[in-house]
Amino acid sequence: MTRRTFARLASLLAAAAMVAVACTSGGNSTSTTAGASPSISGQTITVLLPPWANVPKDILQTFTDQTGVNVDLQVTGWDAIRNKVAIAGAANTPLADVTEFDWSWTGQFGRAGWYLPLQDKLAPGVIDGLQNNGAFTVDDNQYAVCYSNDFRISANNTKMFSDAGIDTAPTTFDELTADLQQIKDAGVAENPLTMPLSATEGTATLWYLLTLAYGGQLFDENFQPAFTSPDSGGYQALQFMVDAVDKGFVTPGAVSLTDTQSDNRYTSGSAAVTLSGGPDEMVVANDPSQSKIVGDGAFMLVPGVDGPGATFGLPEGLGVMSTSEHPDAAMAFLNWWEQQDTQLALQKSIGLLPCSTAAVQTLVDQGKLVGGDTINQQLQHVAPLFPQGAPPWYTDFSTKAAALINAAASGDMSVQDALNQLASEAQTLQSEA
Amino acid sequence: MGSPLFLVIVALVFIPLLLGLRLSMQKYSYGIPGGFIGLQNYVSVLRDPATLTAAVHTAGYMIVAVVLELVLGVCFALALNEPFRGRGMVMAALILPWALPSVVSSILWLRIFNPDNGLLNTVLLRAHILAEPKVWFSSRGWAIVFIALVHSWGVVPLITLIIMAGLQGIEDQIYDAAAVEGASAWQQFRYLTAPLLRPALAVALTTGTVIAIAIFDEIYVLTGYQLNTFSLMMQAYQTTFTKLQFGKGAAFAYLVTLATGLFAIGYVWSLRRSEQ
Repeated sequence: MTRRTFARLASLLAAAAMVAVACTSGGNSTSTTAGASPSISGQTITVLLPPWANVPKDILQTFTDQTGVNVDLQVTGWDAIRNKVAIAGAANTPLADVTEFDWSWTGQFGRAGWYLPLQDKLAPGVIDGLQNNGAFTVDDNQYAVCYSNDFRISANNTKMFSDAGIDTAPTTFDELTADLQQIKDAGVAENPLTMPLSATEGTATLWYLLTLAYGGQLFDENFQPAFTSPDSGGYQALQFMVDAVDKGFVTPGAVSLTDTQSDNRYTSGSAAVTLSGGPDEMVVANDPSQSKIVGDGAFMLVPGVDGPGATFGLPEGLGVMSTSEHPDAAMAFLNWWEQQDTQLALQKSIGLLPCSTAAVQTLVDQGKLVGGDTINQQLQHVAPLFPQGAPPWYTDFSTKAAALINAAASGDMSVQDALNQLASEAQTLQSEA
Repeated sequence: MGSPLFLVIVALVFIPLLLGLRLSMQKYSYGIPGGFIGLQNYVSVLRDPATLTAAVHTAGYMIVAVVLELVLGVCFALALNEPFRGRGMVMAALILPWALPSVVSSILWLRIFNPDNGLLNTVLLRAHILAEPKVWFSSRGWAIVFIALVHSWGVVPLITLIIMAGLQGIEDQIYDAAAVEGASAWQQFRYLTAPLLRPALAVALTTGTVIAIAIFDEIYVLTGYQLNTFSLMMQAYQTTFTKLQFGKGAAFAYLVTLATGLFAIGYVWSLRRSEQ
């Protein structure tokens, strides 16, 4: 480490300490011997992942058996990983060989040069066989490969619908509104829809989803805001969210609800519809220890204007840091993870929905994916939130979006004012970038 | 000068401070360094309208929290300074909120303030004080008061201990003499306890102010990035870790440190002046 590098690292650490950021960390490690690939055999790679990707030791062992590479798996919070990557990346010091790489980091971390482009290093065919993977590409460089096929999908409570005399799930916003009113009028649920409206990321995510579902986009190809006109998807989406509060479809307390708390209203049987669930929604809904609606929950396609609407992926990927001391072994780890057998084993043990199209189809064919048919249908409506690649200022924009949506839903601002202010913020961020 | 302790302090305090100061004069855009820019980061922070808004919110937290902490701290300290049965148990219970990490206590309070099924709404609805559930954090004024309340809940034990230490430094003979002279309990407090407690109060005031200015966890847990509750430290965090503007974030942190230092100096100066 050079003096300059050390000084930069120490500076960043000092700054980090001054803003008093608490990071949690924990971890486990796996190491064995055995080797298959002479050039990398015996190396140990450090892998930094969030808790939901805490790969069991016996599955990691299969990688070691195949390659002879040992894995030091460190598990820590998603936010903490982001902060650690940013500090290590800016200081150009090694942190880990492979790390979590969220789709929203692509613009920031990819452009900063903190991760290796992967397109020429992955095994042939790996990228082509993956869904939801385009979100990791910017400037024609692929900075990560998808390991968690997360996307937004809606869900309803079939019993509550049935109790209100409704036997089919809505596919348009008009049908959804009529159904919610019918459920409310029938006294089945006082607030039949649940959505997060607090100033947190889940709120912005819901708005993005509804924007796409209304047929809109957040930005044009030059990153100019496309959500301020009343006939735009973004405007209609926010108007729908505010109207849902005004009409009593959503509890007024939703302005304090995060996405997890909002989902709890669905699984507790208080609400009949949740719009922006994840593909693991039914795992929770059918778990008696976490849910009061076991057997009543079902996926439904995200509603749209004339039929099912578009949704978007929030895939999480694996990236190889530019400072990796064992880049070949790290690449071998990515190739191993993307094997169908590995993905199926991970889905079975820790519930990660595979990114491999073939693996998803296998799960659906074998009936091992709850709501698999609807998931498969919804996957055909997945569109990228940023077709041109996520901008470096995405995280900042998203934070502002959540705060302004919260203000509109709380009645502190009109829909137009909130969106105008957000557009202004986006233009400022774009000009600064 | 060459003692190991001095070297440790230099290594862990002064060197990082100097490196941080240098960092605060460098440009970073989304994590990419851009060279030395003098005091531009400081100017940028001070000119940002969001800084003023965050400063107003932080001042609100500080005023409510410090007043609450001092009033309750003095009351608890006076009560606990007298011997009574179960005093040890009460002391232990009082310390508990201070021992809890602020994130944990904030999550507990979040359940109390939950608009749908929180304890506060449930009790008030059953007592017919409220006609319908209230969203406690929707208005700026009340949100600041409630967040300051949650913050104070954790800090009051510390303030109580500081003031108790001050009380125990006052000799009993002074009160005995005052009692002989016919001073009432209030007169004893007004003319003996309060003046002699000034050093402890100054320490408590400074501590409470410093902790209140650094408020972060409670806001993050209770209201997230809600526009009407944003504090200075949240703004510093966002600048540093969301925008990855490390230089500007460091400048922000130094300005907050400077403001905190000015408060502390002000308290000490007023204490010395009153003693003279």
